[in-house]
Amino acid sequence: MSREEPPFGIKGLVLRGGPLGGGGVSGGMYVGDWKIFSPKIDYERCTKCWLCVTYCPEAALSKGERGPELDPRFCKGCGICGNECPVEAIEMVRE
Amino acid sequence: MPGNKAVAYGVKLSRVEGISLFPITPQTTIVEYLADFIANGELEAEYIHAEGEHTAMGVAIGLSLAGVRTFTATNSQGLAYMHECVAQAPAYRTPLLMAIANRTLGWFWSIQPDYSDVMPELNLGWVIQFVESNQECLDTVIQLYKIAEDKRVMLPAMLCLDGFYLSYSNERVEIPDQGEVDDFLPPYEPEHSVDPTLRDFGPAAGLPPPLHTTYRRIYEEILHDAKAVIKEVDEEFGRRFGRSYGGLIEEYRCDDVDTLLVTMGSMTTAARRAIDRLQGEGRRIGLVKVKTLRPFPIEEFRALAERVDAIGVVDRMMLHGTGGGGLFADLKSALYSLEERPLLVDFIAGMGGDDISTMDFVEMGERVLKTAERGRVEREVEYVEHPYQPTARIIPLKEKRVIYPGSGGCTGCGASIIIRHVLDVLGPNTVIVDPPNCAGVNYASVVGVPWILANYAATAGYQTGFYRAYKLKGKADKVHVVSFAGDGGTVDIGLQALSGAAERGESIIWICYDNEAYMNTGIQRSGSTPLFARTTTTPAGKVWRGKGERPKNVPLIMAAHGIPYVATASIAFIPDLRRKVKRAAEITSAGKGLAYIHIQAPCPTGWYYPPEKTVEVARLAVLTGAWPLIEIEEGRVKINVKPKKLRPIKEYLRLQGRFRHLTDEQIEEIQRWVNESWESWLKLEEMGKLPWYK
Ligand SMILES: Cc1ncc(C[n+]2csc(CCOP(=O)(O)OP(=O)(O)O)c2C)c(N)n1
Ligand code: SF4
Ligand code: SF4
Repeated sequence: MSREEPPFGIKGLVLRGGPLGGGGVSGGMYVGDWKIFSPKIDYERCTKCWLCVTYCPEAALSKGERGPELDPRFCKGCGICGNECPVEAIEMVRE
Repeated sequence: MPGNKAVAYGVKLSRVEGISLFPITPQTTIVEYLADFIANGELEAEYIHAEGEHTAMGVAIGLSLAGVRTFTATNSQGLAYMHECVAQAPAYRTPLLMAIANRTLGWFWSIQPDYSDVMPELNLGWVIQFVESNQECLDTVIQLYKIAEDKRVMLPAMLCLDGFYLSYSNERVEIPDQGEVDDFLPPYEPEHSVDPTLRDFGPAAGLPPPLHTTYRRIYEEILHDAKAVIKEVDEEFGRRFGRSYGGLIEEYRCDDVDTLLVTMGSMTTAARRAIDRLQGEGRRIGLVKVKTLRPFPIEEFRALAERVDAIGVVDRMMLHGTGGGGLFADLKSALYSLEERPLLVDFIAGMGGDDISTMDFVEMGERVLKTAERGRVEREVEYVEHPYQPTARIIPLKEKRVIYPGSGGCTGCGASIIIRHVLDVLGPNTVIVDPPNCAGVNYASVVGVPWILANYAATAGYQTGFYRAYKLKGKADKVHVVSFAGDGGTVDIGLQALSGAAERGESIIWICYDNEAYMNTGIQRSGSTPLFARTTTTPAGKVWRGKGERPKNVPLIMAAHGIPYVATASIAFIPDLRRKVKRAAEITSAGKGLAYIHIQAPCPTGWYYPPEKTVEVARLAVLTGAWPLIEIEEGRVKINVKPKKLRPIKEYLRLQGRFRHLTDEQIEEIQRWVNESWESWLKLEEMGKLPWYK
């Protein structure tokens, strides 16, 4: 820390997104290795109601052409998407 | 057992009768263990979970003044928030004990230890001791009650144990026999307790100016005389229990040495190993551990100073603006009047929990030896610094967002769902002003908007400052100043500032995500915890059956201020939630006053249900009436979701482990409470407009 360039010429000021990483700059936290179960999406069944996208606490699901697209880097495997899917198009399977 | 448990055992063995508390890491498990003792009938004591530390210390003073043996515990931000009451305790001669599981004071925050938290409290007239081991934690509790309650002392005492290094780490601890402790420490029976049935006087708070200097002298004499009591008590404890800690200071291998290292607290253990190693190489250096920091062992250090050429102080306490550390300053001033003084050097080390290794101590020892050899001080203050290795794993994304995917929150966290939708609705011109809580820990570094950590009780104050500044700059209609406060930060410690902001008509948005307990500190009860829910400070045992009180109705308290917008919301009804956030933004952008939204945030970790059930639990809360969805705009009450018939509360309760201990009677009582609250909302809705709104 002591070796970093002072931002705005103010010595000792620490800004998020600066030397400590995170926030302020674009980036998501890698949490993909937390999961034990992973959502498996059945695109045949999916009616694109997007409830799973709405409820995902990590924004690991996004709206795609064929239905929800999973970014496994951000999914913790909580299973809320599977629990809330009204047509049972999401099954939680062991990693 | 961990140090915090050892402290709790010390408190139990001392037969403490009154305990006041407010959670803060790493102190909290002390009072959680005590709650368990009481819940299971092993300890009989009044247990008061206050809504903030300022109150907790107030409670402790009240208990002690009324003649009850009293315990409380805190650290860091909590100790700072208490400060005013801490300053009063000595003059009221309240021999209460406060455990401090040391943690740095923000400044820059960390939950790890240094002594910057006790530093502002050192010179108020308390007896202050530091401990090195978990056994010493337990023994020191008992010793300190004996010292504090001694008629020659009658002062409050602080026991400082290093957060994490002692509070959470396991060591073998011998638990003394209750009968022997009772013999050593008889019940507390003060002759001056405040009790109108016995006497018509109490301690004075003020003094005429000419007496102030005199009383400062008198208190200094009392503290000076307390040193003899401290030594006596330690010796007697040693005779009875076979363990003693030196009373004021402990010398370690100080025979035939020319130099010394001086340490405090848990770091001493590593320093001992360094001294062993240096002496093994024939180097003439010993170690002194400061056990009692106040009253400062001036005479003991003067005697030691006569024997050595150089002393190195290891300081986990920085006195900014003086160029050095606190222990260093104390020692320097104690030795100044000696005719022949040893050379003194200071090492600032281990701040914010940075580990000080045995090798660090060896290096420090070598520097002290070199100073003695040279006969002069090369550099008076040295900083022991270590390289920083970043641990956050961030995945860079191309596009800019208000909130990024992935967070540190628990798997299935309900608060996560809320924060994503709130920020999505409010957009980039948002400043989040956030008291300490789960959300801050997990989201402060995952958002693309400024996220300002506010001190707990003052959040709405920080928000007011931001709002008024933007008003001055003509931007108040463009920037949303929003809190993202937990229930603790809203209904307990933050309520005073929030109420002030509401009454002043600040156009800010207050979002409370309510996980119905203090989660970030490990599930303690809040004013929002439901009736009979189990938390770590309201456990279910033989005597206690979960939290005994109904939660506060804070939406209605806020409406009592006559603010333009009050709403509750649920993650199971996202369109309703988003609409409410949007409405709040419209109202505050128009400068109409404070908008308050209270959103239930199911928490798998604290409510003990599987994470996939988060939204299901939230839905059942609404459908059973446990979490009514309400909107009060300009005084008009509207219930947004009104099921024809409420589902039985049992359906909601049985999903959650925090209600697993309930008896049928308890479930019935919860059902009664839910029905009553639902009926009240129906009646309020029928009224059309709350009568106090214009
Ligand atoms: C003055 C003060 N006291 C205590 C704390 C310790 N503390 C940090 S987070 C927290 C609990 C937060 O609970 P709540 O506000 O309900 O939010 P949650 O973590 O449950 O989301 C506490 C007590 C603090 N930071 N400052
Ligand atoms: S399992 Fe949880 S984190 Fe993963 S995609 Fe589903 S809702 Fe999101
Ligand atoms: S403890 Fe509860 S509120 Fe806190 S991050 Fe975990 S799930 Fe969320």
